Parts: sequence; structure tokens; C-alpha cells
Amino acid sequence: MFEFFSLFFIQRALIIGLIIAFVSGLMGPFLVYRKMAFMGVGISHGTFAGIGLGILIGISPIYSGMAFAIGLGIFIGFVSKIGKISEDVSIGVLFSFAMALGIFLINSAPGYHTDIMGYLFGDILAISNGDIYLAMITLVLTILWFTLRSRQMKYITFDEDFSKVVGVPVTIDYYIFMVLISLITVAIVNFVGVILASSIMIAPAAASRLIAKKFPTMIILAVTFGMISVFLGITFSYGFNISSGPSVVFFITAIFAMAFALSKIIVHHHAA
Amino acid sequence: MVKVDDLTVRYDGRIAISKISVTFDDGKFHFVMGPNGGGKTTLVRAIVGFLPYEGKIEIDGVEHSKYLKKNSIGYLAQRGFQFFSFPMTAIEVVEMGRYRFKENISERRRSAMRFLKALEMDEFWNKRIDEMSGGQQQRVLMARALATESKILVLDEPLTGIDSKAQSLFYDMIERIKEKFQLTVIMTTHDVGFVSKYADDVLYINKEIVPHDKAEKVLSDAEIELLYGPKMEIADRHLTKNENV
Repeated sequence: MFEFFSLFFIQRALIIGLIIAFVSGLMGPFLVYRKMAFMGVGISHGTFAGIGLGILIGISPIYSGMAFAIGLGIFIGFVSKIGKISEDVSIGVLFSFAMALGIFLINSAPGYHTDIMGYLFGDILAISNGDIYLAMITLVLTILWFTLRSRQMKYITFDEDFSKVVGVPVTIDYYIFMVLISLITVAIVNFVGVILASSIMIAPAAASRLIAKKFPTMIILAVTFGMISVFLGITFSYGFNISSGPSVVFFITAIFAMAFALSKIIVHHHAA
Repeated sequence: MVKVDDLTVRYDGRIAISKISVTFDDGKFHFVMGPNGGGKTTLVRAIVGFLPYEGKIEIDGVEHSKYLKKNSIGYLAQRGFQFFSFPMTAIEVVEMGRYRFKENISERRRSAMRFLKALEMDEFWNKRIDEMSGGQQQRVLMARALATESKILVLDEPLTGIDSKAQSLFYDMIERIKEKFQLTVIMTTHDVGFVSKYADDVLYINKEIVPHDKAEKVLSDAEIELLYGPKMEIADRHLTKNENV
């Protein structure tokens, strides 16, 4: 039944998919609580401008996409901190510009580019060694961050003022967080494309928030939900011959819907 | 001792407070009072280290920025009660106060528990703070401020939205921990009802007006009217609104 797992491209898709589900599960709950869910949308669309530039000047779109994503992550953070506007507003302004720029740059590149749909919605057949390496680097960096800096981010998320009082380097931690989120977003874009990327980062965390009472439980659930969705999504996509990106997103959204229903039942049960 | 000398703070170029000079002596309960927009919060936020300023602040004879590099100031803000969307338990909240201390996880937990116990909140150590009552939250945040082991406790309008019975309990708690931990307490408040009973020292601030003395002396009718508008008077050791007004 599962003989398709011996297929090379399926194995690569599973490796990259499970890695990004894992790192998203560690980071996503922070994004949800910091009300930065829109961040993934902004940065993934920023990646598209980088991909466009890579195609135009003939370098690997991974590197130019990564540079744009990290630049955009830092810029969004900077504008939000200095310009006294929320992240959501700065992302709202920037992400459509980034898409427009991406399309403009790709249109300016000579020749016809059939892989655009792959960048937009993901294509597991197109996963390269470079994508796998990036996912692995992201995994190592995220585990390091989680071990060394997640306590600080927890404090900042709970009470930024008091974090400053006790000496947490709030600004440095904020930018480290933004850069890491940008890197993870690029890794996700390589798997499910620009349009669907934010779902993998946010939906498992949002689902776990609905039913978990303690933060560590939320992290464990977000990781589990993401990994289950990737596994089932890839299996389903192979069985029904549909794109794996949308398939994974279907499962993530289904889990979110079930968590939502469960949270309502829990509330009703407590009220009764 | 906190010594503020010729302090001016600007927001976007506009002066919030101007040329404030004041000394907060050790071991006293200092009330910082004044009208809305008068600069009470600006003054204490500058002392805690949140705001850039012109002038000079010294704490225990050490220049402010040098002091803050190595020490924290115990701080409790009113708005802290409003954004508990993040699910932290009481013990985790108090552990924040131990950030500067080189402790491993179990030492940190033991230290935090000691301060929860001091505020009689140890039995709730594993309860989420957003599921607690206002009074319980306040005590956990107070334990967090104490966990910094700072001898200075800054309270920025901690009683907003708290009923008068809870306020009375709060003041009793402050008195108790002030004695127990030998604290200097600096508190901003609008509340004139408890000044005479609890304040060792009252500072009035209206951008630059700083009469600074014993409560009974400072709270003259003329000054209260100047600062609060409607005529008020001291009655039975508490300030109450004059019924004829």
C-alpha cells in the first residue's frame, strides 16, 4: 500500500515536508500569540519578488528568494518598530508590491517560464538538493533558537516592558525571530509555493491554541498537527494524483476545523 | 536613593516633563500624583529605563544607565493586567523576575516559588495567570517585581479599575512587603483617598510643578484645586470631594 514511499521524489518531499512542519510547529504558536499570523503571507510573497529577480539575472531563485525574504522580514520589523504602525499594516502595504515586482521581473526575463505555477503553488517534483539543504539548515537553526532563545521570546510576548526591565535584549531577539521566520518561510515556499506557505506556519498553531491550555502542550500539538497533515497530504496527493501543496493545506485546514469544533464542545461542556 | 536632577523628557519633540528635580529617599512610600497628562507616568518610566531623557538620574549614587546594566527595578504597571492572552502560569511569570540571576532551571523555580509564597500565592503556582482574579494577578505580578530583588519598587497606576475594598487590601500588602523587603516604593496614582494614611512622601507633578513634602502639607486646598480642578478637601485623614461643589 505504501510502496510509493520508495519513490525518490516522494522521499524528498516527505523529508522537506516533515522538517518544515516541525519547525513551523515550534515557531507558529509565537506568531499566533504575537498577532503576527499575517507575517508568513507577507514574507512568502516577498520571496516571490526574489524568485523573479533570480530568474531575471540567472541565479538560483532559492538564494535571491531567501535574500528578499530576510530583507523583507527585517524591513517589516523595522517599519513596525520605528514607524509606529503594526506589522499587519506594513505587511499589507508591502506584500502586494512584492508580488507585483515578482511578476514584473519574471515578465522582464527573456523566454517563457513554465515553472511559475510551481513557485506559486509548489511542485514536489521540483524539490532540489538545495531545497533539502536549506530545510536542514533551517531545522538546525530553529532547534538552536528554541533551546537558547525561546524563553526570551516567551517573556517578550507576555510582557515586553517587563522583559526590558529585567535585561532581555528585546530588539535583538525580535530581529533574530524575524530572520528565522523568513528563513522558514523560504523553506516552506520551496515545498508548497508562495500562495499556500502561510497556512503551514499558522494553521497548526492556531488549531493547537484552540484546544491546548498550556504553551508547551500547544507546541507539541502544533508540531503533531503539521506533521500529520504533511504525511497525509503527500499520501493523498499521490493516491488521487493532485498537487501535494493544496493537498497538505486541505488536511491542515481540516484539522483546524476539527479543533475549532472540539473547542466549542469543550466550552459547551464546561458551561453545562 | 533615587535622585532625579533637572529631568526633561520629550515625546516626538514635545516636552512631557520639564526640569524635574526630586529625591526619593530609601525605605519610604512615595506617592507621585497629578492630573492626567501631567507627566507622572513619564517620570517613573524614565526612572525604570524606558525613555530617553535630558538631565541626570542616579540610583544609590550610581549613574542611571550603568545601574540598569547590572540591576533591574521592580516594576508593576496597570496595563499589565490587560494583555494576558499569552498562557503563562504563575510560576513562569515570577521566573521572569529572575532573568538576570545565573540560576539553573530548578534553582530558578525554587527562587520564584519563594516570592510566590511571600505573597501567599504558592498554592496557585501552576495556574494560568489569565484564569486568575484581578487581585490574584496583581499579587503574582508583585511577586515577579520582588523576584528581581530590587530595593526599588515602581508602581505605575496599579489600582486603575480596582474596587475600593481591593485597593485597601493592596495598600496593606504594599505596606507589609515594604517593611519585609525594606523597599523604596514609588507609586503613581490618581487616587487621593489613601494618601494621608499611607504616603510618607507626596510628589505633585504637572509637567513641572513639584511641591514635594509630607502629604498633609502638600495637599492644601489650593494645590488640590490647581491640580484636580474640582475643589477637594482633606476630611478624616482621607481626601473626599466637597459635597458643596
